Amino acid sequence: MNRSQKISLTLVITFSLGLFLGITAIVMRRSGVGVWKIALAFAVAIAGSGGIISLIFFRKDKAATTHDERDEQIWKNAHLAGFGAVYLYVILMSFLPIGILGEEASIPVTWCPGLLIGAGFSQVFAQSLAILIQYGWGGKDGGK
Amino acid sequence: MAGNELRNQIRRLRFDNGEMTQQQLADCVGVTRQTIIAIEGGKYAPSLPLAFRIARVFNVTIEQVFHYEAG
Repeated sequence: MNRSQKISLTLVITFSLGLFLGITAIVMRRSGVGVWKIALAFAVAIAGSGGIISLIFFRKDKAATTHDERDEQIWKNAHLAGFGAVYLYVILMSFLPIGILGEEASIPVTWCPGLLIGAGFSQVFAQSLAILIQYGWGGKDGGK
Repeated sequence: MAGNELRNQIRRLRFDNGEMTQQQLADCVGVTRQTIIAIEGGKYAPSLPLAFRIARVFNVTIEQVFHYEAG
């Protein structure tokens, strides 16, 4: 596994855990369980820890050639996947409140920064997933 | 990205050239070992300049390294 694969795998794992905890927090809130705020804080912390883990543990390779044309092509495709994910996310988040709450409902203004943070997360998640898929999940093609 | 129609003789050429390792070939052409693995396995079609660099390492023509199978 190369550095970008390790970073992507870390981000996919932490984001998935964060997403799972986030959904759990929402369910807890809906069902009236009091500790949903703690669960939500944990979700954000876990999702955000991926970047910090990557910075601490996955330093740049010392090999003569750290990346080449294939890596650049993979990163380019991954950026496109990330962009597509953000696009999809913004469309969904813009129309979901209407579909769920109805046309006459109102949403808090905190929806907007939440939308921005969520877009960032979805971009990084899709990009990491695209990198892992293109490298073949670090298997035979990934070359350990 | 991967071209199944593009076959190559890199593995055979490596062994014919003093059992050159994938890492040695990668260093000679300026790519990572992962890329050599992907090219050898037919999972990645290299750019034309890279294909020429690989052929030059083995001192053969590009057609002796890569050949395209239509269909």
